[in-house]
Amino acid sequence: MKTITNILLFAAAVALISCDEPQGSKIHLRADVKSDNLVDNIVTRPVAYAFSALIGEGIEVTDAVLRRNQAGLLELNVNGINHSQFTRKFRYRVEWLDQDGQLIQTKTSVWLRMSAMGKSTFSFKVVAPRPDAVNFRMDTRKWE
Amino acid sequence: MKTAILFQIAILIGFLAAGCAETTYIDTMHDAGKPVMALDYRDFDQAASEMVQSMLGSGALKKKEGGRYVMATGRIVNDTMQRIDTDQLMAKVEQELLNSGQVVMSSAVGSKTDQMIYDTRDLKDSDVGDEFNKETVAAKGQLIAPELSVSGKIFQRNIRYDNNRQQVEYYFQLQVTDLTTGLRFWQNETLIGKRGSNRSVAW
Repeated sequence: MKTITNILLFAAAVALISCDEPQGSKIHLRADVKSDNLVDNIVTRPVAYAFSALIGEGIEVTDAVLRRNQAGLLELNVNGINHSQFTRKFRYRVEWLDQDGQLIQTKTSVWLRMSAMGKSTFSFKVVAPRPDAVNFRMDTRKWE
Repeated sequence: MKTAILFQIAILIGFLAAGCAETTYIDTMHDAGKPVMALDYRDFDQAASEMVQSMLGSGALKKKEGGRYVMATGRIVNDTMQRIDTDQLMAKVEQELLNSGQVVMSSAVGSKTDQMIYDTRDLKDSDVGDEFNKETVAAKGQLIAPELSVSGKIFQRNIRYDNNRQQVEYYFQLQVTDLTTGLRFWQNETLIGKRGSNRSVAW
């Protein structure tokens, strides 16, 4: 009975660390910077990392805001969260579409690199190269 | 005897393996090839994309009174250890700036001068000048002076990282200057850093 309780407590601690999402807080104190506590400490942390890898936590895009900048060009602001405990490196490519939904050929639509630290928010901005861009599509892939 | 036969077989396999290294096209749209220590086309693509986006996004090229700025390409210095044609960067940047509708590039002055502009004007005074219809030869005072200039530099730093690895940093710097006032409207730097074996040559 005691063993089961201990296992459940440990699992709850790991789950609490895993749920430690950064959104909402402006200041993010990371492990090895902030003080250890009952649920996030030198013992539970490796388990949390293993758990994160096991359930395959990764990147989530929470927000993709389009607006026209002062130069009349469409600007895409992407915000997201890395749910994983590990730093996630990835590439993204934004393609721009005109009002007929046709692809705008441009040299700026290349695979660009992005890196998000574990349990962190990230943001990047992409600017359309022509004023006739009215929409976009974005793709991602692993950063080799 | 047995060793000699085995040696000959090994050499034969070696030659066959070398012959199997077939040439393939690079998928430049989705290239998953390994990075190299020197600058390759992916680095120039990235640098150009970031530069153009920064330039257009800054609003510095939006003319207050409407219309387009006339821009000339100034000096782009290659201060790396590699033989780079800086057009690998600038051709992409210029193409995108032209297509943005905010800028028209000048071929009359700067590092991208088209000599034909001056050769055709020289026709008037040349021995074969009479062969040309004078009205089709550009008159004086037709060229338009640039209002903006884009110039920059690409440079490299090699750093010993540890006993086996080196770190190579490539800096791409561009700036846009108002040629009337001499004021700098925009500037940006893109860093591309690579770490790899000491045996890799970055020049």
